[in-house]
Order: sequence, then C-alpha cells, then structure tokens
Amino acid sequence: MSADVAFIGRKFVLAEFPSADALLDGTRRMREKGHAKIDTHTPYPIHGLEAALGIKRVMIPTIVLGGAIMGVVSALAMMIYMNVIDFPLNVGNRPALAGPALIPITFELAVLLGGSSAFFGLLIGLLKFPEPYHPLFELEAFRRASIDGFFLSVEVPEAQNAEDVALQARELGANDTHIVVESER
Amino acid sequence: MSAPGHAQGNDAEVVLDPLDPRPFIEGKQTDKSLNDSLFRHVWIVPGKGWLALFTVALSMLGLLGLALGYTLYKGIGAWGNNNPVGWAFDIINFVWWIGIGHAGTLISAILLLFQQKWRTSINRFAEAMTLFAVMCALIFPIFHTGRPWFAAYWLMPYPSVQGIWPQFKSPLVWDVFAVSTYFTISLLFWYLGLIPDLAALRDSSTSKAKRTIYGMAAMGWRSSGRHWAEYKWSYLLLAGISTPLVLSVHTIVSFDFATSVLPGWHTTIFPPYFVAGAIFSGFAMVMTWMIPARHFLGLKHVVTMRHLENMCKVMLATGMMVSYGYIMEHFIAWYSGNQYESDMFFKVRWQGPFAPIFWLMVVCNVVTPQFFWFKKLRTSIVFMWFAALAINIGMWCERFNIIVTALHRDFLPASWGNYAPTWVDFCLFTGTIGLFSTLFLLFLKFVPAVAVTEIKELRHDTEHETHAAAAGGIHP
Amino acid sequence: MSHHQSAGSERRSGALTIVKRVDPPRFWRSLEARSRSPELIEASKGEFPQGADQLADEPSRRSFMQLVGASTALVGAAACQRPNQKIYPYVRRPPEVTPGNPLHFATAYSLEGYARGLVVESHGGRPTKIEGNSDHPDSLGATTALDQALILGLYDDNRARQITHRREPGLGPEPAAWRSILVMIAERSEKLAQKNGAGLRFLVDPSASPLQADLRARLSERFPQAKFVAFSAVAAEGAALGNKLAFGRPLETRHDLAQAQVILALDADFLGDGPEQVKLSRQFGASRTPGPAMSRLYVAEPCFTPTGMLADHRLRLRGSEILALAQALVVELAKQPGLDGLAPLAGLPRAAASVDARWVAALAKDLARTRGKCAIIAGRRQPAAVHALAAAMNSALRNVGATVNYATPLAIDGGVEALRGLVEDIAAGTVDTLVITAKNPVFGAPADFKFDKLLARVPLSIYCGMAEDETSAAVTTFVPVAHSLESWGDGRALDGTVSIIQPLIHPLWSQVTDTDVTAAFLGEGDKGSHDLLTTFWKKRAIGSGWATDVSFDGLWESWLAKGVVDRTAAQPESGLATNPGALAGALAPLVAKAVKGDSIEIGFAVCPKVFDGRYANNAWLQELPHPVTKITWDNAVLMSKATAARLNVETGDVVRIEAGDRHVTGPAYIQPGHADEAVTVALGYGRTVAGKLAKGVGFNAAALRDSASPWFARGVNLARTSRTIRFGITQDHWDMEGRDPVIVATLAEFHKEGSHVNEKLEQQRRPLETIHEPVDYSQQPYKWAMAIDLSKCSGCNACVVACVSENNIPIVGRENVRIGREMQWLRLDRYYEGPVEDPEVVVQPVMCMHCEAAPCEYVCPVNATVHSDEGLNEMVYNRCVGTRYCNNNCPYKVRRFNFLDYHKEPSHVDKMATNPDVTVRSRGIMEKCTYCVQRIERKRIDARVEGRKIADGEIVTACQQVCPTGAIDFGSLNDPGARVTALHADPRRYNLLHEIGTRPRTAYLARIRNPNPELA
Repeated sequence: MSADVAFIGRKFVLAEFPSADALLDGTRRMREKGHAKIDTHTPYPIHGLEAALGIKRVMIPTIVLGGAIMGVVSALAMMIYMNVIDFPLNVGNRPALAGPALIPITFELAVLLGGSSAFFGLLIGLLKFPEPYHPLFELEAFRRASIDGFFLSVEVPEAQNAEDVALQARELGANDTHIVVESER
Repeated sequence: MSAPGHAQGNDAEVVLDPLDPRPFIEGKQTDKSLNDSLFRHVWIVPGKGWLALFTVALSMLGLLGLALGYTLYKGIGAWGNNNPVGWAFDIINFVWWIGIGHAGTLISAILLLFQQKWRTSINRFAEAMTLFAVMCALIFPIFHTGRPWFAAYWLMPYPSVQGIWPQFKSPLVWDVFAVSTYFTISLLFWYLGLIPDLAALRDSSTSKAKRTIYGMAAMGWRSSGRHWAEYKWSYLLLAGISTPLVLSVHTIVSFDFATSVLPGWHTTIFPPYFVAGAIFSGFAMVMTWMIPARHFLGLKHVVTMRHLENMCKVMLATGMMVSYGYIMEHFIAWYSGNQYESDMFFKVRWQGPFAPIFWLMVVCNVVTPQFFWFKKLRTSIVFMWFAALAINIGMWCERFNIIVTALHRDFLPASWGNYAPTWVDFCLFTGTIGLFSTLFLLFLKFVPAVAVTEIKELRHDTEHETHAAAAGGIHP
Repeated sequence: MSHHQSAGSERRSGALTIVKRVDPPRFWRSLEARSRSPELIEASKGEFPQGADQLADEPSRRSFMQLVGASTALVGAAACQRPNQKIYPYVRRPPEVTPGNPLHFATAYSLEGYARGLVVESHGGRPTKIEGNSDHPDSLGATTALDQALILGLYDDNRARQITHRREPGLGPEPAAWRSILVMIAERSEKLAQKNGAGLRFLVDPSASPLQADLRARLSERFPQAKFVAFSAVAAEGAALGNKLAFGRPLETRHDLAQAQVILALDADFLGDGPEQVKLSRQFGASRTPGPAMSRLYVAEPCFTPTGMLADHRLRLRGSEILALAQALVVELAKQPGLDGLAPLAGLPRAAASVDARWVAALAKDLARTRGKCAIIAGRRQPAAVHALAAAMNSALRNVGATVNYATPLAIDGGVEALRGLVEDIAAGTVDTLVITAKNPVFGAPADFKFDKLLARVPLSIYCGMAEDETSAAVTTFVPVAHSLESWGDGRALDGTVSIIQPLIHPLWSQVTDTDVTAAFLGEGDKGSHDLLTTFWKKRAIGSGWATDVSFDGLWESWLAKGVVDRTAAQPESGLATNPGALAGALAPLVAKAVKGDSIEIGFAVCPKVFDGRYANNAWLQELPHPVTKITWDNAVLMSKATAARLNVETGDVVRIEAGDRHVTGPAYIQPGHADEAVTVALGYGRTVAGKLAKGVGFNAAALRDSASPWFARGVNLARTSRTIRFGITQDHWDMEGRDPVIVATLAEFHKEGSHVNEKLEQQRRPLETIHEPVDYSQQPYKWAMAIDLSKCSGCNACVVACVSENNIPIVGRENVRIGREMQWLRLDRYYEGPVEDPEVVVQPVMCMHCEAAPCEYVCPVNATVHSDEGLNEMVYNRCVGTRYCNNNCPYKVRRFNFLDYHKEPSHVDKMATNPDVTVRSRGIMEKCTYCVQRIERKRIDARVEGRKIADGEIVTACQQVCPTGAIDFGSLNDPGARVTALHADPRRYNLLHEIGTRPRTAYLARIRNPNPELA
C-alpha cells in the first residue's frame, strides 16, 4: 500500500502475534532469516526474549557498580578532607579520623550514586530517553503493545522491500502486519 | 480487538501455591480486563467521597502551613519544647513518619528479591506511601532547628565563608545523608516501576491531552524487548540496593539516640529494634489506607484477603521483635546495675508523669499484634483495620517515650523539667497527616494504585505454570 | 560618654542633644546641670512653655524672671564646653581612657543606712558591671546579689522623669519645674523659720552619711522644732532597744567571726542579710575549711535562709519562740562553770514554748567550751528581749571585744516605732510640711498606720523617689531623684569607714538628689550636691587637720580613687558589761507580753530578691530564683508539710490569710524544714503603683502587718480558696534520688581513713578507662579549670546575678520560667536530705563543666561547639543553627537555648546595661557558661603587651569575683602553684557525674559538716 511513497526515512514492519509463545517463536525465526534490526513489543517482559532477540549481555550492572564505587570514594574523600585534613578540630576529645563514624555516610553515598546510576544509566544512558517520538507510535494498532498485544518490529533496510518482510512475518504466524514509513509531515 | 490467542488465558483462575489454593488474582482475568479494571479509577471523574476527603486533607495541610509559618515568625518558643526537653513533637513526628516510610521499600524491594509474588498487588501503593511519609519526615530536620534559614544549607558540605565544615561525627549529619538518600532512591525506584504503566495509560487514554501528559511521563517507553532486558536488571538492582538502604536508614535514625549518653537513649539494641518498629508501623499504615482503598477503587480482585492476611502476619512478627526490644531494654537497665538506667525505666517510664503514654504504648504495640495469632481476627477486615490504627498510635507513643520521657528526667534531679505541647505542636502533627493524605489522594487519582504491568506479568506467568502443571510438566 | 548621652537624648527631645555637645575625654558633670533639667528644656521650647500657666494665675515679675533665667541658662548650657568637676578612676587602672578598655571607678552604695564600697566597671561612660571594693571593710571585694543588680536599677525604663506638684492635697498633680519647686520651698521655709520650724518634719531613709548629718544639724539650727524621723520597713529596731536594755544605752552590734569557733544564729541570716553579710560570709567561709579550726554553726529559725542552709545544727522554731530558746540557753549556760553570773536571768519567767532540751544543753556546753571564741547573733526580726539576752550571754562568754562588739550607732535609724511618733503628730494635725526621703513609706508602713490616708492631711508633702510608687501617689509634691550611681554623696561602713559616693554617669533623667531637696530648706537647693559635699568635707578635713586649704584637692582625689577615707573607722565601746540582775528586772515585762496565742503564727520576711519592695521593678532580681524555694516572679505563703496537711493545702493553692479585719490572698508553698503551725511571707511584693515589671507580682504581705507586732503575729486565719496558680519555679524537685550529685560528710567521717565518704570521693575522681587517648594539655600555656567548695556555698545568689550582668543574659519572664526556659547560665541546685519535716539542705552551683570529653560537642552537626587548645568548651554563636542536640546530650543540662527573641528591640537604656565584651545572642541559638572567656582574653592581651604569662589569680570570673564566701576559684592547672591546682588535688575533690567519663574541668569540693558529736 505504501510502496509507492517516496522513501524519506526509516521503514518498519510491525507484526502482531496471537500469543507470547508465538511471538518468541516468530522472533527467533525472523532473526534466523537474517533480519538484524529486530525488536519485540510486549506489555510485560517475557521469558526467553533475550535469547530470541540474541541479546548477549546487559550493561546496567556494570554501570551501577561504577556508581556505587564512586559513592564510596567520594564519601571517604569528602569526610577525610573536611574533618581531618582541611580543618581538624578537637571535638569532644574524639579523634579527627574516627573510623566508625565514617561508615554511615560512606554507605549512604554508595547507595545514592549506585541507585541513581541504575535509574539514569538506564533511561538516559542506555535507552536514550526521553524519546517522545518513534515511527511506531504512528500506528493505532501499536497502542496495544503496552496493553495486551504481542508485537514484533523489524526495521527494513532501504534496499529491501517492506512488503516481503511483512509476508515473511505472516508466514511465521503473525496474524496481522503493518508497515510504517517515516514520512515527512 | 482482543486476539483469539487470549482465549486460552480465559479459563482457570491464577493459582500459585498448591498448599494455599487461594488465588492472588480472583476471577477470570485477561490482560485487557486487568488493564481496564485497574485503570478505571484513573479515567473516571472523582466521586463525592474522594472530593470530600480531599477537602479535609487540604484543610489539614493548611494547618501545617499555619504552624510552620507561625514557628518561623515566633521561633521554636512557639512549641512546648524547653530546656531539659530540647526535642519533642518535632523529632517524634520525624521518627514516626520515617518509620512509616519503611514498609513501602521493604515490600517492593525485599519481597521482590524473595520473589514473593503477592507483593505485586500492594507494592506500588506502599512505595507511594514511603515517598509521602518521607516527605512529611523531611520537614523536621530543617524546621526543628532554631535557625532553619541556616540549617537548610549549613548541614551541606559546601565551602562556606566561615571556612568550617559539617561535623561528620554527628548523627544528625548522618541523618541528613540517610534520609535524603532514602527519599531519592525511593522516588527513582517508584518511578522506574511506574514507567510501563504510564505507557499503558498513554496508550489506553482517550483524549489527546491525557495522551500527551502520560506520554511525556512515560518518556517514550515502547515496551521494547531490548529495553525490557535492561529494565528488568535495573529494577532488580535498585531493589537490591534499596534493601540494605531500608535497614540502614532507621538504624541511622536510631543512632541519634543510641550514640548519646542519656539514660533511655544510650542503648545498643536501638538499631534493630528501630528497624523492626519501622516495618511494624509501616505495614500498619499500609493496612490503614489499603483497606478503604481496595474497597473504593474496586481493587478487591487483586488485593485479596490473602494479601491482607500476609500483612497481618508480618505485623505479628515485627510486633514481637519490637516487644523483644522493649523487654531487652528493661532487662539491660536492670542487669547493668546502672542506677540512672534503671530509674529511667522502672521509675520514670513506669511511674513518671508520662507513664500513661508508656502503658498505652505497651497495649498498642505488644498486646494488639498478639491477636493476629487467631485466623478469625487475622481475616476480619474490621478488626485488622482498628488494630492497624492502634499500632500507628502505639508507635507514636513509643517515640514520645524515647524522646520526651527520657529527656525530662535525666541525670541531675535538680535539672529535671516537664513538658506540655502547645497548639502549634498539635497543628504541626495534624498538618503532616494532611500533607500525607493530600499527596496520597492525588496519587490514587492520577496513577494506578497497583502495578498493572506486574499484575499482568503475574497472570501470564502463573497461567503458564498452571498449564505446565496440568501437562504434568515441571512443578513450581 | 556619648553612649549614654545619645541614648538619653532619644528619650527626651532637646535636653541631652545640648549636653551631647559637652563631649569631654573623661566623665564630667556640669555646674549648669541644674538648669539643664529636662523640664526646663521643655519649658524653654514650644509656644506655651511649661509654667506659663503659673504666669497666668500669679502674675509676679519674679517667677517670670525665673523662667527667663532658666531658659537663658540653657542657652548658656548649649555653649558650655568646659565642665569643672572631675571624678577619678580607680588606681588599679591607667587613668587615660583607651577606647574599648573599661575604666573602674570606686564608689559606694548605701542600703539601710550603711554603705558598701563598690568598684564599677564603666565602658565608654556607661557603668556596666558592679564589683566589690577590696579596700572596703564591708565588701572585701565581694558584693551581694542586690548590689549586682544596681546596674539594671540605674537603667530602669520606668524611673520617673517629671516633677509633679499638687497645689493642695486632693487636687490633681501638675508637672512642675525644679526651679519653681525651689522657689516654693524657699518661700515655705521662710514661713517655717519664723515659727522655729514647728510643723516641719523630715522622714528620712536610715543613713550614716556625714553630709546628711551635717545638713540635719544645720537644719535643726534654722528650725529648732523640726523633727527628723528615719524609717525603714525592715529596720532592726529590736537590736538598739535590746542593747539599751543590756548596756544602758542604745548601741549597735558589730560582729567579727574571723576567730569564731561556735556561732549561734538566733533567727539571724547573717550570711544573707544586713550590712555585714559580705564581711561575715567571707570570714565564715574561711572558717569552713575542714580541720581542727573548723567552725560550727547553730541556727534557730522558722524558715530556711542561706544561713540555715549552711548550719551544722538547725532548730526550727516559730519566730516568736526564739525568745524561749534564748531563755532556755541562758538557763543552761548559767549551769556552766564560770557562767553563773547569768543566774538572775535564768530566774526569769519563761516564755511559753517547748525547745529541744538536749539541743540546748549541747549548745550551751559548746558555747561554754569556746568562750571568747564564740558568737551569739540575734536577727533583725527579733524583739529587744532576745537581743538583750544575746548581749548578756555574749558578755558573759567574754565574746564582747572579740567576736562581738558594741558601738555607738553612726546612723540615724528607725522603723515602725520611730514612725509611730510621726503618725501621731500628723493625726494631731501638727505637721504642715513633710519631706520624705525614706524609701516608699506608704508601701512599707504597717497597715494599721493607714499612712497614705494620713498624708492627705499634710498641706505640703515632698517625696523624693526614683520611680512613681505608692508614696509618690499620696504626696502633694513628687521629686524624681537621681540613682546612687548618678549622684554625689557619702556614706559609712558599719565600722565607720567613710566612702565617697561618686557618680558614674551623667543623670539619665532627673538630676536632683535627696541632698538637694534637704538643702533647699537651707536655701542651698541650687548649689548641687557636689558642692555641698566638697564644701563639707573640706571644712571637715581642714578642721581635723588632715589637709590644708591647698592640699585638700589632692586628698579628695585620693579618697575618690581609693573609694574609702582612711582612719575614719569608729572604735567600738570598750569595757562594756551587763548587769544581769537589772536586766532581768527590765526583761520581765517584755517576756510577759511576748507574742502569745495558740493559732497559726505569721512571720514577715525580708525578701532576698526585692528587699522591702524597692527592687520590685528589677527584672534580674525578679527572675532570680529564691535561694531556698527557687520561686521566681512571686512570693508565697511558706508553710511546713504538716501545717499544709492540717489546712488541707497543696503547693500552688491560693490561700486567704485573715488578720483581724485585714486579709490578703497568696499562693501556698510547702517548705521543708519550716516550723509547724507557722507561715512565712516575704515583704516587698504586690506593688500597686510601680513599674510595669513590679505591678501585680505577688501579694502585699505588709497589708497584714500591725505596728504592735511587725514581724511575728498570732491569731491569723488561713483558708484555702478555690484558685490555684503555677509558680514560675526553676527547680521543683527536692530529692537527690540517691544519686549524690553533692557528696556530704561529717568532719569525723571525712577524717576517718578509708571511710565510706573517702572511698566515694576517690571513686568520683580516679581516672577512668577510655578508648580515646585523652588530649594532652600539659604543653599548652594554660589549662583553665574551676573549683567550687560546697562547704562554703550558702546559695546567696550573688554569683547568679553577677553572671547575668557580666554575660548579657536575657530575662524571659514568669511564663517562660514556668515552662522551663530560664536562661541563667549559672544555677544553684538545692537538695533536701532527710525527713521533709526537718531536712538538711545542700546547695550546689552548676554551670558548664567544660568537660574534656564533652558529650555536647560530638553531636553538633555544624561544629558550633568545639574545644579550644586550653580546654575551654567553646560555643560558636554565629555558627549555631539551634538543633538543641547538644543540650539534650549534656548530662548536666547547663546549656540554655534562646527559644524566643529575648533581646527583641531593647530600649535605649536596656542597651546601655549590656557588656560590650560579650555577644548578645539572637533567637534560635544555644548559649552557656564560657568561664568568662572575655575576661580571660582581656588578661591575655594585657599579659601579651607586657610580654609575660598570666599570673594565677589575675583572671577572676564574674561568679568568683562576687562570691562572698570565696567558694569559687579559677585558674590554670598547668600552673603548679595555682590555687585551683591545689584544690583539684584536695582530698575533698570530686567530679560531678564522674562515672560518665566526661572529665569535667570544674571540680567540686565535698560538703563537710561539723556537727556536735553530742548531738550525733
């Protein structure tokens, strides 16, 4: 239907599968057919999707570890510089460098930076959010991706014909497919 | 257009544990039906009941403004605090609210790690409560000081013209870090969990305006599998670090007292006993709000009797830990042979001017939870609601006992004093309840009170497992 | 200088703006002072000058000229650049003024006729702090609490500023000018002189002032029939009368306890009351060091006093029963060998009362044992009979000339009895001119005199007072007078030593003095008291050959500088002896008509805070906790627990006391150790015409006073009313709860090796295990520390007021004291021991202990309280955010928080009372004792300038300086020779709450009692 539309931007094929299992199966098979830029859209995470999508490893734990370590270091640096190096005072005859007293803040800062990096590392770092626009949002059907639909999306390279990809998807059990082309408004 | 594939999901209720056949989700549900039923209260126009409650809450919030304004204008002298009793309602409220703030993160984080599936129905609710409770608590570290306009930033480690830094041996500074960290992390945790639901709201919204607003809030979440992969890990890790955080926060709050030299404060058992007390009061507060909420928001099919009963059991357990704390305090006071300690407990708290508050605390915190041994009471909505209320009161009394009662009669009898709150103190307390209620009612109105996405996931998983079980496959 | 002037000028447009141009390098006063009196400046301004109305009704050229003259004088004043009177700074100080450095001037203050030498610290012309004059025999460098509060009295906003005059009694008062008053007096005295002064009466304050005496003499020459009556509401009339009975002439009692080993106080609060209190406190304190020479104190009194609190043996007796005790003692003494001379007195009929025979017997033995080295002191409230018996016993015990002396009175003195004569004259209508320089007689006079009504019968009554009061409201002419610190005068110590009273500041408002008013009747009213004074003393000095006309000025300056006039002490009578036989005869009727009746006895007490009511508007004193009850801002009906139980009264219940047709209502307070079937009420409260502070504080007990028995009366009825009040009380807990913050022991226990108390003391000071290596201060130049000797502290409160004055400590008012927000940095903890009926009392001054391991410091989140190198626990006001955590964690609870803005908009005079060396703290800040760090720093600067170390005893904290018994010491523990170092090593030394491990720098020395073994 939109084949004759002059190509402007990205092309997507969105295929809806009847169930999560069907989606898993379809996804794997599509990938075997060599589609690289492939993704699924489901209201909730489904076991096995990582495998189906061929996701090797996730980044986030490393980021969080980095954040936590930063927290520990900065906390100790701060307290020791301020109360021991820069301005040591006789406070109730307690030693300037009082080990146990360092623990709470060190821990809290580790948690604070670790936790924040989990959040911002994910949304901003990895997901590149906020991203209010995406071609798929053009499709009315895509709304159900967050409600009760199980979708597979394939970004079709310029050379390839979207219709063929859609056909493949239907052969793999998708009961409905849509093509969306990033067009100029 | 619901897909035919969903037909299979329509039969069989979702049951997990063959030992306890009662379902976590009652009735035949599909993703769509859950979606509609759980978002319903967001879309409908608020009813008279909600508006009435909101008006009450707002007027109580007004009291808070009044009390704080008057305090700023007049000074701490507007309160009942005096020279032996330097802390009173201010710090009592602080500790009480922080404590209440503990159930939320605990339910979502710890129960998530322990894979307690029943958490999904109440975690969103509880996390929201944490946030609002901590907001109420956050008022006091600043406003209880004599010069809040300085306290607001002199507690921060910034290079001041005085060339002087915060004093990191002071538990008050630890408090600042602990409470602000707790608030930030709880907020992030809550919001991260909310994003898929916000997307679902965006996608099920009818008007352009709503769609735009929730769309902005969802930041462009498109339920991508690649995103889910990172998301699950991020959520799990946040849960992971929130768990020790919950334990650390009230531990540090308890250091305010435990590190001092005062009889009744100088107690090594405080950290665990504060944490237990916090979870205790936190669950009580969740209960207090959950029971009406599930009724009025039509959440009975996801917040089932089984959830409520589980909460009662947690309260019973934590309640007994708290009681153990009390007993230990008294034992040590006697066993140490330290006269100041034993006088504090056996003379001042048992018989002193504030003895009624002590005994009220015992009734509320030690006696009340014991009734949860009986299934009949554990499953009686009315009883558990009043019990929860009693526990809230009891925990407030506990803080009064720790703070005011210990302060008003310490070492030198000549410097003993007395304490009586003023109208400002009461306004302050009522006001924080107003702030809490206002935020809570707004929350109930504008975001789903339960984690819809997780409920759907739970439905999906359990459905699979039951099928597998039926097919004689692996047993859960 | 400029300070007080600019301040003053705000209050009165014009007047001081003119003065301000007089800007001398040092303190000056101007001859034109008179004509610069505010009223005239008002008069000289505006369209209708004051007194214009007088022109209207008596168009005399003369009075017109007066006004013009005065106004012209003002114009002169405006140009005045060269004042011509000097006062001289105390010799301890460099004479030249260095801005920022205070000067110290010697002066004196007379209370009840006798002067106590003072040294006043003056900052830029503002007197800010009172100290004692060590050269003065009745001060020895210390003062009383009342003296300390003079500063606030001087800067009292409610002092009167306007002369008022009623043209005849009953008419409304009109503002008048001093000059017109002078004219009026001049005219009046013309007339009076013609009839030899018949109808002229002077009702004067008791006074030993030579100048006043000289004026009186000259007045008597001009008005032979004029009479002088001295009145004080609390005068010790019994003493003079009793001594007259004992020795045949009215003598005055002086004491010297330096050698006294056994002291008996018969209802005599010699440590807290009377002109000798500072001297006797010093001597008594010195005699309390445990050892063979330690003195023993017996006290018999109805209600606890500072003296009673220090007693080794205290017998609680109703005031009127003291006579019975004295008699019983005479009987016992007469049995002692060598004292049988007292036998005739023993034969007297006994006053009805039962006294503990065993007690008396043991006491008698003790006295007999120490004859010549003991003293029997009778109190001001006791009747002549008791004083006579005391005199008889003292002379029989050969104490006269040793511990007790009798001398011809130097002061014109008088009380109720003296007033009676005047009252009768007025009633008879023979008085037409009455000059009142006595302190508020209308308030103080016994109710049955109805003195205010009587005054209405006197055509012209002139009253000199500092503030509007009950008397000023009743007289025809009220002349506001200058404060003692604003005026010239002289006075004598009890031993006769003369002090010149020199002003510290230009009068803030009125510049007239009593002297001027009195002198006006000699036509010298406009000379000014400085002239009168110098003229008089010049004559006297030349007359007695001390100086020549030339050398007088130098002599005068030396007097001013030193504060005392040498060789002016008057010798006591010698070779005195009583004739017991004759005395017995004279006493018999007195004993017979001693107070009787079986109903409750009411006793009137001199208030240790507001005295006879004259200090009622002084906030420092009103907020001062009563030494015994700790009540502030109130007086109370004190009674024993038993009596309260019988009357079904609780502390705080308002009771109605009826005596005949008169009654008052006041709150009851249960006072442990009070005599049963008796109540004690303090005079001086319930002022009706007074400043805003005094009004409505307490109830006026004087309304019950009857001239027949002004101190103790029976036949009163007490009934509880339905009302109750809550006292503003700083310590409502009596018991030590077995915690022993104060370690008490008898001399015997203390001397016994390894006795329980010695173990306890050792336990309370031996080093404790600590995980933190204690900071080493031994390398520091100084290691500040304090030591407080509880055996000496009488709880007289002088230190508390001194601390308030030195450190600008705010006043919070009754309501805030009620809820526990009093601000005094130094508090006197008072504990009762033993049965509530008859307990023993210990007093413990508690201020910041400057702990080396201070619990307050490590909890402060902003480093607002930290330790100095020399071990001071420093409070950094400008860093404090007011979390109050430090005070919560202070085991001694010595920190004070500014809950409200107590310094909000101080009036200009309030500001003048503040010490510029000490920060005024704002709202929301914690504060506490600093060991007077400002004094430490001043000495440090001096020492540095002179390139030396600070010597021991050079730094004197405010509380230490004022302490009459010398219970407080301060110094550096790094100085092996320092007194404080020795005291920290004293076997009596212990640390308060030592077990907590705070290592306080303030050490306490245990309270050692010296009871009579026979009574153990």
